[in-house]
Order: sequence, then C-alpha cells, then structure tokens
Amino acid sequence: MLTMTLAENEQLKVEDLIVRFYTYEGIVKAVEKANLNLRKGETLGVVGETGSGKSVTALTIMALTPTPGKVEGGHIYFRRSTGEIVDVLTLKEEGLLKIRGKEISMIFQEPNAALDPLYTVGDQIAEAILTHRLPEMLEKVGRLEGEETKGLWAFLEKLPVFKGSIKKRLLNEVVRQEIVELLKLMEIPDPERVVDAYPHELSGGMQQRIVIAIALACSPTLLLADEPTTNLDVTVQAQILDLIMRLKRKFGTSVIYITHDMGVIAEISDRVAVMYAGRVVEVAPTMEIFKNPLHPYTRALLESIPRPGLSFKAIPGTVPNLVNPPSGCRFHPRCSYAMERCSRETPELREISKEHLVACFLHGGA
Amino acid sequence: MKSVIVTDNLRKYFPIRGGLFSTRKGEVKAVDGVSLAIKKGETFGLVGESGCGKTTAGKTVIRLLKPDSGRIFFDPEGGLSDNPSDDFKQFDIARLKGRRLKSLRRHMQIVYQNPSTSLNPRMLVKDIVAEPLFVHKICRGKEAEKRVLDMLERVGLSEEHLRRYPHEFSGGQKQRIAIARALITHPKFVVLDEPTSSVDVSVRASLLQLFKELQKNMGLTYLFISHDLSMVEAICERVAVMYLGKVVEVAEAEELFEKPLHPYTQALFSAIPIPDPKTKRKRIILKGEPPSPANPPTGCRFHPRCPHVMDICRSEEPKLEEVKPKHLVACHLY
Amino acid sequence: MMSKTKFWSAENPRIKELVFVLKKMRSSPLSIVGLSIVVFFTILAILAPVLAPPQTDRDPYIMPRTGYSPTPKPPSSENIFGTTEGQYDLYYGVIWGARAAYRIGLLVVAVSAIIGIVVGGLAGYYKGVIDEVLMRLTDIILAFPGLILAMAFVVAFGRGLDSITLALILVWWPSYARLIRGEFLRVTAEDFVEAAKAVGCSDLRIMLRHVLPNTIFPMIIMASLDIGSVTLTAAALSFLGLGAPAGYSDWGQIISLSRNWITGVPGNPFAYWHAYIIPGIFLFLFVIGWNLLGDALRDILDPMIRRR
Repeated sequence: MLTMTLAENEQLKVEDLIVRFYTYEGIVKAVEKANLNLRKGETLGVVGETGSGKSVTALTIMALTPTPGKVEGGHIYFRRSTGEIVDVLTLKEEGLLKIRGKEISMIFQEPNAALDPLYTVGDQIAEAILTHRLPEMLEKVGRLEGEETKGLWAFLEKLPVFKGSIKKRLLNEVVRQEIVELLKLMEIPDPERVVDAYPHELSGGMQQRIVIAIALACSPTLLLADEPTTNLDVTVQAQILDLIMRLKRKFGTSVIYITHDMGVIAEISDRVAVMYAGRVVEVAPTMEIFKNPLHPYTRALLESIPRPGLSFKAIPGTVPNLVNPPSGCRFHPRCSYAMERCSRETPELREISKEHLVACFLHGGA
Repeated sequence: MKSVIVTDNLRKYFPIRGGLFSTRKGEVKAVDGVSLAIKKGETFGLVGESGCGKTTAGKTVIRLLKPDSGRIFFDPEGGLSDNPSDDFKQFDIARLKGRRLKSLRRHMQIVYQNPSTSLNPRMLVKDIVAEPLFVHKICRGKEAEKRVLDMLERVGLSEEHLRRYPHEFSGGQKQRIAIARALITHPKFVVLDEPTSSVDVSVRASLLQLFKELQKNMGLTYLFISHDLSMVEAICERVAVMYLGKVVEVAEAEELFEKPLHPYTQALFSAIPIPDPKTKRKRIILKGEPPSPANPPTGCRFHPRCPHVMDICRSEEPKLEEVKPKHLVACHLY
Repeated sequence: MMSKTKFWSAENPRIKELVFVLKKMRSSPLSIVGLSIVVFFTILAILAPVLAPPQTDRDPYIMPRTGYSPTPKPPSSENIFGTTEGQYDLYYGVIWGARAAYRIGLLVVAVSAIIGIVVGGLAGYYKGVIDEVLMRLTDIILAFPGLILAMAFVVAFGRGLDSITLALILVWWPSYARLIRGEFLRVTAEDFVEAAKAVGCSDLRIMLRHVLPNTIFPMIIMASLDIGSVTLTAAALSFLGLGAPAGYSDWGQIISLSRNWITGVPGNPFAYWHAYIIPGIFLFLFVIGWNLLGDALRDILDPMIRRR
C-alpha cells in the first residue's frame, strides 16, 4: 500500500523522477532525479530557465510527457480527493482520465493555444463540466424536470423524435448557469455575452481567465500553472495573479506555479524550488530563499536581475547541452565556487536547516 | 546636447479591411501624434504595454514603415536641435524613397525581439552578418570576412561560429549574432525592440552589459523599446511612456521611476512584481481592459480606467507639457 | 587567417545536411527501395550507349529492327527481351526508354518548377493586384483536367516528343505556382525577411537569397513525386499515339506497338506477354521508385523544416 509514502499534510510528492527524450540528435536527459513535494493548500513556486526541466516535470505530473519523452524512473505520489494515494506513473489510461481535469488541472503560457478557435468559450468550459461533473448536473436537471413537463412539452415528450429533448434543454440551461457563475467568479465583465464569444474575440487577459475557468471548473485539488502570465502585460499580470491567489484561497487548491520571474515568485509562493538542467537544486520557504540563497545558481540568478540602484551581474557560460550534460554537478562549469569534487560526483538534495534543502557540496550534500 | 532623431507629430495608421472587396472599414491608430527627441549617445527607453504602439513607433522611425503624417528628422552626426525648424528640412526622412532611403539604412538599424525568427534559418552565420556589407557595397571577399570576424568577436562569439546555422545556437548567442548583423555597418542609431524578452533571465544581464559596452566603443544611440520596466531602468537615461498610440509621459529614468506623475505610469509601475518578498507594494489595480486602438476613447485616452478622472478628461485631450524641469506629462491633473 | 573549407569536406554544413538525409533514409526499408530503384534507372540511363550500343548513324532513340514482320517474337538469344511489332528490339527499347523517360520527366519538372517559381514567387511576395491576376491565370489552367488539356495542346502543336514535353510543361506549372505562392506568403511574413529589408536588401535579393531557400524543401518533395506522374502521363499520351513516332524508344510508345497483340492467340492469351509486360514493368518500377523516394524525402524533410 502506498499510504506511507505521503505525510499527512502532503498533497504531492515527486520522487527521483527521470525523463529522457529520444531525439535524432541524441538522448536528451531532460529531468534527472528530480525531487519535489507539495503540501496541502500551499503554493510552490518552481523557478528555472530554458532546459531546467520544469515544464516537462509539470506535464509528467499529469502523465502527459510530450513525445519523444519517456519516463524512465521515479514516482509521483498524489493524494486523491478520496484520500487514496496513487502513483501517477503507474496508472493506466482509465485511472488517469479520472484525475486529469478533475483532480489535477493545468494552465499554460499561451492562452490562445489552449483554446480551440472553432468553439465558443462557453462550449469549452461546458466540455470540462460535462466530462467530470455530469452526475451533479443531471441531478439538478432531475429537480427541474418535474416542473417543466407540462402542456405542449408533455405531449411532445411522448413522441420518439422529441423524447429526451426536455432533458437536453434543461441540461443546457443548467450548465450554462454554472458557466456564468464561474465566469463571474473569474471577474469577467458581462459574462452572459462572453459565454457565446469565440476565443479570438477576447483579449489575452480574458482568454487566460477562461483557461483558468476551465481548469477550476471541477474544483481540482492540484493546479499546475506553467508560466501563465509570462506573455501578458504587466497590468494584466497583476490582475491575474491576484485572481489566482483569491481563487486558491476560496477553493483550497494546492498550486505549483512555474515561472522564471523572481518577482512573481516573491509575490505568490509559500515555498520555492529552484531547478537547473533537470535537477532540483534548492528548496526553501520564499522569505528564506531571498534572504539566504545557498546554492550558487540561486545566488547568481538573484544577482543577475537588474534592480534599481543595484548593479547586476550576468552568469558566465550558457545552459548546458542536455544530450551531453556536464559530469557530476551540472552547474559546476559555471560555478564560481566549483571544487574538484563537483565535476566527479552529483550532490543530493539535502536538508541543511529547517525546511531549507540544497543540492551542493558547499553545504553538505555528500 | 544635440539630437540624432527628432520626430514631429508622427502618425502611423493601419487600415482594417473587411467585406467582399477588402474595403477599408476603419483604422488602427497605432501611432497617433508622437513627438520625441533622442539625443546623441543616449539610451532612450520607450515603454508601454501591448497595443500601445511602441514597436510600430520604433519601426516607423527607421522607416521600415511609411508614416501617414508627421516628420522624422534624422541626423547621424547628431546635430539636431530639439525643435527643428524648416532649416532642417533636408534631414526629414519621412517621405524618402528608393535609393536615398536605402543609403540611409546603413546608419540606422534594428535588433528584433526574437532571434529565432529574425535570422534566416537557411543562412550561415558568416553570410548573415556579412550581408549588410554586400548590400551597401562597403567591401567584399577577404576584407568582408575580416570585418565579420571582428564584429563577432566584439559580441562575444568566435571564428568557430562562422560556418554554422542559427539553430545550432542558444537564444542568447543568436541574439548576439543579430546584434553583430545590425552593427556591422557601424550605424549611428539602433532601435532595440524588446531585445531581451525572448532570452533567459540569467542571460539578459549579459546582453545589457554588451549593449552598454558597444554603445561606448562605437558611439551608438539607442531607442530601447520594452515592456520590462526593470530592464529599462537598468540602462536607459531617459524614458517615454506610451499608451494607446500617444506619449503620456517623458522624463529622466531615475526621476520617472521614483516620482511618476501620470496615473497610467503610476499604475504600470505599481504592477511590477518585485523580487523581494518583504516589500509589499501598494498595487493600483486598473479597472477593465486596455481599449482597442481602432476605437480609442474620446478626450484623454486613459480616462475610462483612470482613478483620478475629471470631467475635462472625457472631452479634451491633454497636451504633453513640461510640468517639472525635463519632465513632461500629458494629463489634466497638472 | 581563416581557412577556406573545401566544398566536399566533412566540415561544410550543407554536406552535413546531405549526409544526415541519407542516413535517415536508412531507417526506412521503403525509402531504401525507392532510392535503389532511382539509382538503378539513373545508371541505366547514363550507360544506355554502353549497354545497348546504337547500331546505325541515325537517331539513337530509334530501336534497331531485325526484320519487318509484324508479329512480335519472344525472347531469344538474339533479342534478349524479344521483339515487338515490326521486329524492334525490346531490350534496346526499354534501356533507351529510361533515357527518354528521364529526358521528359526532368525537363518538364524543371521547367514547370522554374515557371512556377517566377509566377508563384511574384504573386506571393508582392501580393495585391499581381497576386490576383497571376492566380486567376493559374486557376484557368487548373480548371481543365490535365490529361485532356495536354492532349488538346499536343493536337494543336502536332504530334511528337517535343510537343508532349511542351504540352506537359504548360499543364504542370500551375501546381508549382500554387505551392510556391503559398510558401512565399508564409516566409515573407517571417521576421527575418523584414530584417533583410531593414538591412537594405533589394526585393530581388530578398526573394532569391532569403525567401526561396526556405521554400526549397516542399518543392523538392513535390518535384520528386512529380517525375513519376509526368512520366506516366507522357507514356499515356504516347500510348494514345500523340507522342513519339513508331519505333521510338519510349516506354509508352513501345506499349502502344503491342496494342494489337494484347489478346494473344486463341487458347493462349499471354502469347505475346513480353511485348507489353516488359516495357510495362520498366515504367511501373520507374514511377514507383520516384514515388517512394518522394515520400521518403517528405518524411525526412518535413521534421527538418519544423526543427528549424
């Protein structure tokens, strides 16, 4: 039984995850023994740049690793709303269908790529609702049905052509109402009109709200957000971040928020995980990570952000080629504190002080 | 200090076509009366959100687009005064065409946002960087090769990179190739259109350092367009803020970021997430969405979303005026 | 001091690409089959004068005859593949037929492509009125069924291999124009084309140096698939009697010669099988070889386009 793998307050644990991509240029070792854990109701910020493996990890949590990627090791333990703990990587398709969209939802960077341009926004939200909350909707229909079956409709209902049409009509109404409520929750103005709008008729910020609406339509326990505000204007980003935080408090969702923007991290995460070249190199509460970054990469990252009055320093070198990553610690070629050991051995993620984990030989990690 | 570029009431509209024979249904007033002066040797920042017209303004200034009205004075030697009178007519490039326009191109260049799409994927690096030399008949053959290598080294690349295709490089390196291409003819004025947005966070700093270094060594004047205010603050001396096709505020960088006057600028700056969990910024959350540039509001374009809106704002458009030394705002509050 | 890399050295990036394509072909058995067939026919066409030396001073494409009897003779020691009606040597015919097939196929595809590039390129680059006019012209030709239109042209020009070539070119170029126009529209919207304008490149330079090389791959795929189609259509026209004169080494024409003998003799319907099956096999293999090669190229080049 998997009951012992997750602590009482843990929602998700990624353990020693290995994901490799088989391309014609070679085997890309995208994620190499990554470890993450998420507590119930918290927002975990995941920081990383190109090649860090953060997006691949997020997709793998939903067992949606893009081809030609293959999961080659590790576990992803998830506590379902029923209380049951499952290893996502061992589930078959039918088990996954119960989880995706319902218990784990994901929102992406490009809202207009996530929305189908041929269907109205209402149709797309309805799809999420009907897929996962059909019994609940039918129950509402059942309650209304009695009243409706009167007069002309009662007669038509008996004919084979119209049979069930009342039910369908009522279902549409019930779902539509639900959608409008959801849009109001997303603070979308004029929701009645928006329900029938097509994605291209809405602005980027609105589209992203719709995507969030779809993701939250079934009150998931875990929300994966992969840079959802990176492409939005600063003022719109502020609105969306605000919205996500309020919704999170309302629904009690746990959130994994992926971004490269340290400012966003500072604002919304409770804890932060820093990823570099496929590994998690540091995890700590937000305050701690900014006050006392331990891993040289985290430090260099913070120093490279131009800030008013402060000088900024670039990190020398480039992100490594993951087909032929550096031996040992993957950051050692660019690290100003690199020791001889760093090129030979790979440091493990180790808890140095309360809640603060680092994978670096400067701080234990032996 | 004299200017390299002075624009006077620059306008660029894009027609909206629709219907059976693509009739003109309306216009997107992307740039609607922009007057700026960019001084020699400075880095002038142009900020705003999507749809404000900053990229269109940048491309129009270097005549990649043809303005619908207004004048653009360009003097590579930087001898223009702030308000060029008709004496400077010969410097007006707004209506230039053909060969005369082409000969100007070696003096003004642009670096695009996304180096993955701004470099021809089927051309070798050496050909990409050498092309301006051929086009402007500056030199060929061995001489050109020498200059290309020299330029690549200046941007931090080396000889081994010459015979490769762009896709073999990282984002930061590709952008350096794009910079080399832009600077190989030693232009005096360069438009940098969001040059760090498509690049990793840790690499942005090195690109900014490169820009500064090249500016010093080659005597360049930059127009730095960005929506990333922290980038702008780091390297710009003066900054202009645009909203819906108009300039709403211009000031020196330090002054602007410390004491923004226009309500939009204030809201914009307050929305930037600070990488410091201790400071909780008081956020001014704007109402509603940015309106469409095809149908701008009457009077002051910001009035539907402005927290300090007054009656006059709805009917009369505020003019850009100097309300503090070297600090211009277009707002009825002042 | 920079060294000049030789064209054929392993360092040249374009050679590296070619090697990559060839290597990728190894992974699919059908592509190897296609490539082998194409190579086989290429060698056949090149070595035609060696494998089947011309016997007279006249046009080498005319098959030598060993008599004048109308009945085809089966393969023998004298005529390896036998003879067809009029005692033309089939062996000679099918080998020189490979050359003829290449002549027509390559010529039609090459010229159609060039016309298509000019028309489609101008339309896709300049858009607007030029695009409308050129595309309507293209549409007019595409409105007619290809074979019928080709036949009409040939009848107007007079029969002969050159007429077929010309007719096929006129029928084939519109599809290239369409393809190239679409590709030009796509590529001119890319940033690097605007960047080239910013550098100061002339329109012509942009079209040839920047846009065209980025449209090459779909063209290569279309061309290789087309060589088979063109050859088949040319053979059909020859079979109908509109092409080469009797006795010419053209597969379609050779099959045409066997028209009276397809039914064989009563009691043995395949008595004269060699007269039509042998040239038929050659034609079939040629077309399928090029089709397989074209498919393989499409599978390889398409991800390469996307990879960029």
